[in-house]
Amino acid sequence: MNELIAYIAPATPELFVFAGACLLLVIDVFLPASRRDVTYWLAQAVLAGAIVVTWQGLDGATAHAYHHMYVTDRLAELLKLVIYGLTMFAFAYSRDYLRARDMYRGEYFVLALFAVLGMMVMASAANFLTLYLGLELLSLSLYAMIALRRDSAEATEAAMKYFVLGAIASGVLLYGLSLVYGMTHSLDIATLRQALTAKPMGDNMVLILGLVFVLSAIAFKLGAVPFHMWVPDVYHGAPTSVTLFLGTAPKVAGFALVARLLLEGFEPLSASWQPILILMAVLSMGLGNLLAIAQTNIKRMLAYSSISHMGFFLLGVLSLGPNGYSSALFYMLVYAVMSLAGFGVILLMSRAGMEAENISDFKGLNQRSPWFAFLMLLVMFSMAGVPPLAGFYAKFLVIQAVVKSDMLWLAIVAVLFAVIGAYYYLRVIKVMYFDEPDDKSPVTGSGPFRVLLSINALALLAVMPVVGWVIELCRRVIGGTY
Amino acid sequence: MEFKQLIFWFFATLLVFSAAMVVTVRNPVKAALFLVLSFVSAAGLWLLLQAEFLAIALVLVYVGAVMILFLFVVMMLDINIARLREGFGEYLPIGAIVAVLLVLELGIILGGERFGLTTLPEPAGLPADASNTRAIGKLLYSVYVYPFEIAGAILLVAIVAAIALTMRKRKDTRYIDPAAQMQVRREDRVRIVKMRAEKKQPQGDKP
Amino acid sequence: MIPLSYYLILGAIVFAIAVVGIFLNRKNLVILLMAIELMLLAVNMNFIAFSYYLNDLAGQMFVFFILTVAAAESAIGLAILVVVFRNRRSINVEDLDTLKG
Repeated sequence: MNELIAYIAPATPELFVFAGACLLLVIDVFLPASRRDVTYWLAQAVLAGAIVVTWQGLDGATAHAYHHMYVTDRLAELLKLVIYGLTMFAFAYSRDYLRARDMYRGEYFVLALFAVLGMMVMASAANFLTLYLGLELLSLSLYAMIALRRDSAEATEAAMKYFVLGAIASGVLLYGLSLVYGMTHSLDIATLRQALTAKPMGDNMVLILGLVFVLSAIAFKLGAVPFHMWVPDVYHGAPTSVTLFLGTAPKVAGFALVARLLLEGFEPLSASWQPILILMAVLSMGLGNLLAIAQTNIKRMLAYSSISHMGFFLLGVLSLGPNGYSSALFYMLVYAVMSLAGFGVILLMSRAGMEAENISDFKGLNQRSPWFAFLMLLVMFSMAGVPPLAGFYAKFLVIQAVVKSDMLWLAIVAVLFAVIGAYYYLRVIKVMYFDEPDDKSPVTGSGPFRVLLSINALALLAVMPVVGWVIELCRRVIGGTY
Repeated sequence: MEFKQLIFWFFATLLVFSAAMVVTVRNPVKAALFLVLSFVSAAGLWLLLQAEFLAIALVLVYVGAVMILFLFVVMMLDINIARLREGFGEYLPIGAIVAVLLVLELGIILGGERFGLTTLPEPAGLPADASNTRAIGKLLYSVYVYPFEIAGAILLVAIVAAIALTMRKRKDTRYIDPAAQMQVRREDRVRIVKMRAEKKQPQGDKP
Repeated sequence: MIPLSYYLILGAIVFAIAVVGIFLNRKNLVILLMAIELMLLAVNMNFIAFSYYLNDLAGQMFVFFILTVAAAESAIGLAILVVVFRNRRSINVEDLDTLKG
């Protein structure tokens, strides 16, 4: 018995969330629709419990379990804690929105918890198999969550597009992994790295072919050019609460995907993947920022903005070395918090039976509710990278990492695109502050929502005194893992 | 040509042919049946590669369950085949060219002698009593216990999602509730109304 | 004897047919889903061939899990397809054009 407990103990957080999700599923069936709040609070309790369980297991050591299928290290622990936090905020923001649209159902929370479980499995993957299974658990839950608003033609169309393209990406990833398996005789990430270091295989065309397939799948999952086609449609078509979820926690899980595959497994082949990532980063920053200018729908605009942010994130990854990786990690964390606050404001605006989807819906927000206008201003400035907000530090760090790895031209290109990008963020601010509102009624929201949103957006500003500490944390996490 | 090669070429040709038919045929029912054919021929090839368990599982699970699901959906949805036939073959030549190029590129790399893919020796035959199923089972419940659990979660998500997405309570369907049937009392159905006897119509009025 | 390359090229052919099928198919979502199944079949072929020639069961185990996930995936895909059909009475890929910009 003790042996069994010792065997399963390392994955306690995963087991906890799995059990919690199953319990929620059963309890929800017996609840009448009027008691749905119980489900909501239980879902929050599962996440809170997961934080406690993960926190208790924190020891900074790297340990493998389940025959080297599972790894717990600093990176996995940090990513998991961030994912729980983001999901808790996302649930709290979505509550009123879901209630107003007949989506306040148990399945929504159950699927979201399974998505969280998938992200946790990805963060702790030590084998390609577990990485793939975690990715699929996450993706399948997301497809279903988007389609959960099943009477909406837009939501179901978005789900179908996401599903088809996501399934293709999974197939491509698997094809790449099969070639890598054939060449290195292993599906274990650590063994792969050993095999690649022991014998330079940079000229093995089959391996490189496999790597290219894997890179395409990563680009798809992150939403980077040239595999970005799904991002605007899915962000636009999905119910806003799902877009909020989709644009935050899974991006952090995307970092786990990149970390486990590229930074851990294929790092000895970095000479082969670096040029591909440079191309992807430049195209993502360029296309994302240029197309975002033309958008009138704010969800689409934020979707294109997310593509450009992924370009900046890739800058950190392709700078190689702990410095580059930690700047990429920091960028992703900051992006997730910004995106959470941005979609939070959209959710807040779209409560009363209408969707605040167009930029024109934000007209004169300052006259209607100055405080929310100010919060949105913070988010937009942060996304544009205006000092002293968190977004500025994030952009600064990745560009600094690029400069340090002797790619000055790339840094100049990045700064140029950041300036172009500032235009469309400033346009939202202009609309909020200088246009006359069509509807003068103040924006209302439930008390907890307003408080949480304020905390969330102010965190972008308040990060200034503690930014050094957060960056140091990212450095230590990356340094302790690699 | 030895017998094994004959089998390989037979199933390989069948697989390529049926796969090509799946994506070119316009009728979804026919496409599903061709997909069945390609699964079965792939299973034949897997038997050659000594993956007996997976070959059988492919036929049972895939052909037996998943393809039936596909056929169910195809039959359930009232698809307008005439519309699907519009523009048939419009992009076919370009598609064929792209496919041939893709295969050539992959073939140059995968078929190259440089990578040891053609020179890799065929492994020694397994003893006659070797059981592929037992070997997989042993691995599955020891080394692969953690992925096995996650696969369980994935299947649960599929169940929850499929039910949540497609189940709807139709208001126009009439259900029979046996409990309610049993609890019916005589008073609910028959009401005895006390009333005075009415005068009988005079018989003679009838025309 | 059949060299490993033959199996890999066979896998590549099926993979290419599936990819081209996905991009050619502008009419029917069901066939799109079938092409995805073909793609996974090609991947499985690769894994099993490598597993046999490397004398290592890990490849076969991977295929076992791919089959499981693919079954779950097609269930969800078909569920979404049914919902799409209920909303627009069509499964034509070209009709999915509400979201643009």
